[in-house]
Amino acid sequence: MGASAFKLLFLGLMGSGIPVAIAMAGASLVYVLATGNTPDYVVIHRMVNGIDSFPLLAVPFFIMAGNLMNSAGITNRIYNFALALVGWLRGGLGHVNVIGSVIFAGMSGTAIADAAGLGTIEIKAMQDHGYSTEFSVGVTAASATLGPIIPPSLPFVIYGMFANVSVGALFLAGILPGAVMAFLMMLTVAYYARKNGWGRDVAFTWARTGRALAELAVVVGFPCILWGASELDVNMHWFVPVALALLFISDRVFRFGAVLPIMTPVLLIGGMTTGIFTATEGAIAACVWALILGLIWYRTLSWRMLIKVSMDTIETTSTVLFIVAAASIFGWMLTATRTTEMIAQWVLAFTDQPWMFLLLANALMLFVGCFLEPTAAITILVPILLPIVRHLGIDPVHFGLVMVLNLMIGLLHPPMGLVLFVLARVAKLSVERTTMAILPWLVPLLISLVLVTYIPAISLWLPRQFM
Amino acid sequence: MAEATAPVQDVNQHVLNAAGEFAVEDEPIDLSIYRFEDWLAFVFFWVLAFTIFYQFFTRYALNDSASWTEEIARYLLICTVYIGAAIGVRKNNHIQVDFFYRVFPKKLMRVASTFVDIARVLFLGYAVWLTWQLIGKIGKQPMSVIDWPIGIVYAVVMFGFALMTFRALGVMRDNWVRGQSLLENPELDGAA
Repeated sequence: MGASAFKLLFLGLMGSGIPVAIAMAGASLVYVLATGNTPDYVVIHRMVNGIDSFPLLAVPFFIMAGNLMNSAGITNRIYNFALALVGWLRGGLGHVNVIGSVIFAGMSGTAIADAAGLGTIEIKAMQDHGYSTEFSVGVTAASATLGPIIPPSLPFVIYGMFANVSVGALFLAGILPGAVMAFLMMLTVAYYARKNGWGRDVAFTWARTGRALAELAVVVGFPCILWGASELDVNMHWFVPVALALLFISDRVFRFGAVLPIMTPVLLIGGMTTGIFTATEGAIAACVWALILGLIWYRTLSWRMLIKVSMDTIETTSTVLFIVAAASIFGWMLTATRTTEMIAQWVLAFTDQPWMFLLLANALMLFVGCFLEPTAAITILVPILLPIVRHLGIDPVHFGLVMVLNLMIGLLHPPMGLVLFVLARVAKLSVERTTMAILPWLVPLLISLVLVTYIPAISLWLPRQFM
Repeated sequence: MAEATAPVQDVNQHVLNAAGEFAVEDEPIDLSIYRFEDWLAFVFFWVLAFTIFYQFFTRYALNDSASWTEEIARYLLICTVYIGAAIGVRKNNHIQVDFFYRVFPKKLMRVASTFVDIARVLFLGYAVWLTWQLIGKIGKQPMSVIDWPIGIVYAVVMFGFALMTFRALGVMRDNWVRGQSLLENPELDGAA
């Protein structure tokens, strides 16, 4: 069996609708059996070793932290915070939608979870306020793409593993592009509000907005105090617990709305950039934080809810990592059949200009993103594209951002975008109308894509400051 | 649209309560939908969670991290994934490309979908046999930190593949009886 038969078999299996993991492992198995060079049980050995990695342990716990934060008690707090902060602007709930997604993106790492969980609430609230379903669906879909860009992020963990890049650097690299995207989306909301003459959804009061700003100051100030103390050589072993205790006491005394939940990403990113903990430990710390908030502090999380959250987490984890497992045998086969080498030669014969390659890669990834779920796409694309990326001297961290952003846009895009279908079901709109609703929102997203692709500093400036 | 002049209270229904704040409640939870593999994966998952937390705790509170935790945690993740993958098979939740089912004619859809059912069972069933062979080859080797045979992990993987095969057979039977699969008609209730 030749190398091209292997590729055809794989593509045929994928097209038949068999699970992607089985298409990858199955095609590899048939190739191994047909060539007979290697014993066939090596396929299983590779599939098990493929997920035998410490960094991958971050995956279930980032998923779980996001699921825990998605329970009603905490979502309400975050939305009310966003409402107080930007709800008084024209087209208020549109802005609330974007800001709410930014905050949730700091806790969860997937776009589908954001769209399915929060999207339902966001769309309902906007419909109640008289916004058209189309506008509500569009802004919800667009802001759901922030989930995996703003850390923590599941696709970054997978990309980091396959591309051999620091997950911490990828997380840091996602912050500024996430901010740029959120800013462009808010501009779009503002444009619609002006065009349609929309008013504010809640009246502006200094008391409410001032309070939200004060909470924001606490969230930003707390890690600054910790950092300052460590610079002054205070014994952190005692200082951190005392500072946390003071934080919880002031939460009770001042009745903060959302300080503690919003603190999650701040502590997580802070801890990871200063090297206090690894991505895996950060993920478990985020879970412990969420459990303390849900079970003990706010008491909004029931034991039954905890079981459901665990089950959801296990389901997502195993479907994602089953693909990663199969991809490790498949990636090996791609190298063994010299497929990656051939593609690299072919592309480099066509162009050796980084900007031209990025343009082509963007087109390819947007296309693939329309058909394939992000994890599956990353596991297939990274082994193929990364050798070229390194050859052309493009920073793999920067390329990781470009890749994930492309795949996220693919989620919104016809014909196969998963977010598109989830939101169509949530909003009870036809797929055609949902597509039309999302279409205008591709404008800010594609502008961000161009900016992120051709201005590497947007993604690379922050990691270079810290790492 | 809520105009600038419109009183705020008038538009606050459902999701936003009378005070103009978000007040959503969680939906009731039904635990009876979970089956054997769900609970088995649940046990592996929580043992994993406690192992990592223990490592975290020993490293920060006791300044001395237990060396066995990292290895055990990795193996527990493998067990969770391979047992949990059976849930995905049962619920038809594994990531797949169903694009062509939007353009295929009905007859071809039936053929392709039947092919998927059979190929899935064949692959998963063969994987059970392969894992069994693998256990015969390397099952007695010790783990790296702890002196247990690595075969324990592979035995769980084999059991996971067996569960997946069993669930794939169930899905195949359901699809055969209905004459239709989730691939052909995504509206079918797949979470059987």
